[in-house]
Amino acid sequence: MSSVKKPETYDAIIIGSGMTGGWAAKELTEKGLKVLVLEAGRPIEPDRDYVEHVPISEMKFRGMNDRRETLKNQPIQRTCYACDEWASKFFVNDTENPYTTDPEKPFAWIRGRQVGGKSIMWARQSYRWSDLDFEANARDGNGADWPIRYADIEPWYNYVEDFAGITGQAEGLPQLPDGHFLPPMEMNCAEIAVKEAIARQFGRERVMTIGRAAILTQTHNGRAPCHYCGPCHRGCITRSYFSSVNATLPVAEKTGRLTLRPYSVVHSLIFDPQTRRVTGVKVIDGQTHKALEFQGRIIFVCASTLESTRILLNSATPEFSTGLANSSGVLGKNLMDHIMGGGADGIIPGFLDRVQFGNRPNGIYVPRFRNVSSKEKNFLRGYAYQGQAEREGWERGIHQSGFGESFKNSLRRPGPWKMTFHGFGECLPNPANFVEIDKERVDAWGVPVLKIHCEWRDNEKALLHDMMIQAAEMLTAAGAVEIQPYEPNNPPGLTIHEMGTARMGADPKKSVLNKHNQAHDVKNLFMTDGACMASSSCVNPSLTYMALTARACDYAVSQMKKGEL
Amino acid sequence: MERREALRLMGAASVFSVLSSDLFAATLRAQLAANKGSAPRTLSPAQNEIVVAMSDIMIPATDTPGAKTATVNEFIDLILTEWATEEEKKIFLEGLAETDRKTNALFGHGFTAASAKEQTAIVQAFDEELAASRNEELPKQAHPWELTLLLPFFAQMRRLTLVGYYTSPIGQDQELKVEIIPGALHGCVPAEPEVKQ
Repeated sequence: MSSVKKPETYDAIIIGSGMTGGWAAKELTEKGLKVLVLEAGRPIEPDRDYVEHVPISEMKFRGMNDRRETLKNQPIQRTCYACDEWASKFFVNDTENPYTTDPEKPFAWIRGRQVGGKSIMWARQSYRWSDLDFEANARDGNGADWPIRYADIEPWYNYVEDFAGITGQAEGLPQLPDGHFLPPMEMNCAEIAVKEAIARQFGRERVMTIGRAAILTQTHNGRAPCHYCGPCHRGCITRSYFSSVNATLPVAEKTGRLTLRPYSVVHSLIFDPQTRRVTGVKVIDGQTHKALEFQGRIIFVCASTLESTRILLNSATPEFSTGLANSSGVLGKNLMDHIMGGGADGIIPGFLDRVQFGNRPNGIYVPRFRNVSSKEKNFLRGYAYQGQAEREGWERGIHQSGFGESFKNSLRRPGPWKMTFHGFGECLPNPANFVEIDKERVDAWGVPVLKIHCEWRDNEKALLHDMMIQAAEMLTAAGAVEIQPYEPNNPPGLTIHEMGTARMGADPKKSVLNKHNQAHDVKNLFMTDGACMASSSCVNPSLTYMALTARACDYAVSQMKKGEL
Repeated sequence: MERREALRLMGAASVFSVLSSDLFAATLRAQLAANKGSAPRTLSPAQNEIVVAMSDIMIPATDTPGAKTATVNEFIDLILTEWATEEEKKIFLEGLAETDRKTNALFGHGFTAASAKEQTAIVQAFDEELAASRNEELPKQAHPWELTLLLPFFAQMRRLTLVGYYTSPIGQDQELKVEIIPGALHGCVPAEPEVKQ
């Protein structure tokens, strides 16, 4: 997957090899196009780079991370739970990849620059959006209306699910459409008890279901089922969870039409004002720092939400002086992320003679129940919970008293069952949350960096507070004791569901992309990652990015065949 | 399920990959071994002896080896040398001096010269002191999730001893019997019979 040839002109250039770049590579090569994928970071070889089975006893700092090294080189990345002692190598060096913010408004921009991008470390939760989401802007007037509805994307959800393999349980809920699921993972004893208690108290209004995740529970398309080692974010040698390295890129590679070029830092796109098309890409070689150019008939920008928008902002021309394809003026605006972490935990009494066998890399999910059939006074839209129950491990001993033989023997057994709910809330599109180019700073390759202006506003804060209250209420209903509610002050970005800044829309005056993820202003330019999102839902976005990408590829190739592109 | 059996079920192609991961682990092991057995870098020989004795009182040998055999002292020396801040290190080293002062005041000699019963009494005193102070406000942190050793000495000692022991090969393989590759998921199964206490 690292064949490097001096390119002629490609049928398509894809910028980024992560979640959406991988899908674009698969779809476009399978449809017969000769494709170049430009990846800013290094190649990934699973046999060499995946570390999910390395025991904690082999790690130098025994899971406590190389604190001094990460404080120096990854002060932002290290705030992400997945940037641990094993997986920190999949996160960028912050000193090489700077960005700026307003001093009192931190934004945690979590990034992965390598083949596979963040699809290597993602949390794999895979949910369909519904018309509750696609109609949200139209209904309450925030942001601009989506140019598509659920019916437009439904066949593409089917399509990407059938390839990726999504485990889950059908529930028949209108706000969280069922998918083409592989068998669900089992809930554990405490989760089953909590689920039943919630059903008794809240009926069909609140439903706790097993997480829907891009992890195989049976052999699927030649990939082996999960072996339940647990830490997927460190890689998976059996390719049992979906990532571009595990699933899409190998398929693209097999067509013989893929050229994947790592160490290719994209500086900007080349726009020809005569033909009104992008003709190619300016690249800085990541290792030699040499300037290069590549030509393509169509260009898919799949570099991740903010990197993609940064590329367009850095591609300003005399005509598009505020950024390529920005006649609308909304490029860079309406940045969103899910507000995360309001919730609670508590001890579920009982089941002390029962355990869970296997490390389930997936939790439970409580779909949105606010402003679904109810109408809330204090906030618009809603939130959903992820969570899990687990028996506490030896770590509980750190906060207990006692020592010696009986203490040691007590820690050999697992502790009580602890149930946790933490919420993910919808962020309203707001033009005052935006990014621009910081003219004072460049990254290690000389590319101007972003300045990010983003903060949580009243509606998000109200959601966060309600998440805490309602989580505690569900735990109370389940008979939990020692309930700890929380309402943490996480900065935007840390949820790593950053979306928007180049939104889709029907009106070229109010949006960057049309309903096919094609730039209104530049017909052979497509953006299919999180930048295209017109609203944020409260639902994890990756599955929607996948579906939109496959859909956009289908459209682009059909237009090429008709001679329209 | 035995790890080898799990790998067999996962198919031959995967085994090569696991072997590569094992190779990665072996490299790490070799690097760690290079540091093993050498003199502590931060702890003096006398301080090291206190750490060895105190950690082994906290996690003694039972039907499995304890903290001393698991070389928890070497882990603590590594953390003090390459991980802790100067301030955290100072608290820890001062705590060791305090340990000797306490033992001297009560028994007329230093901690390592004390009998097992005397050492246990000192650890008991530290443990009760820490329990009493648990409800006091902890130092303010910029990030509540941030792992810190900016704690009273015995809280440091407690955390490092437990981490050092339970993440060691002895702690993982013999005490906790951790399976890296369970190979299956069962949500709700009977726990294994209680170990003999």
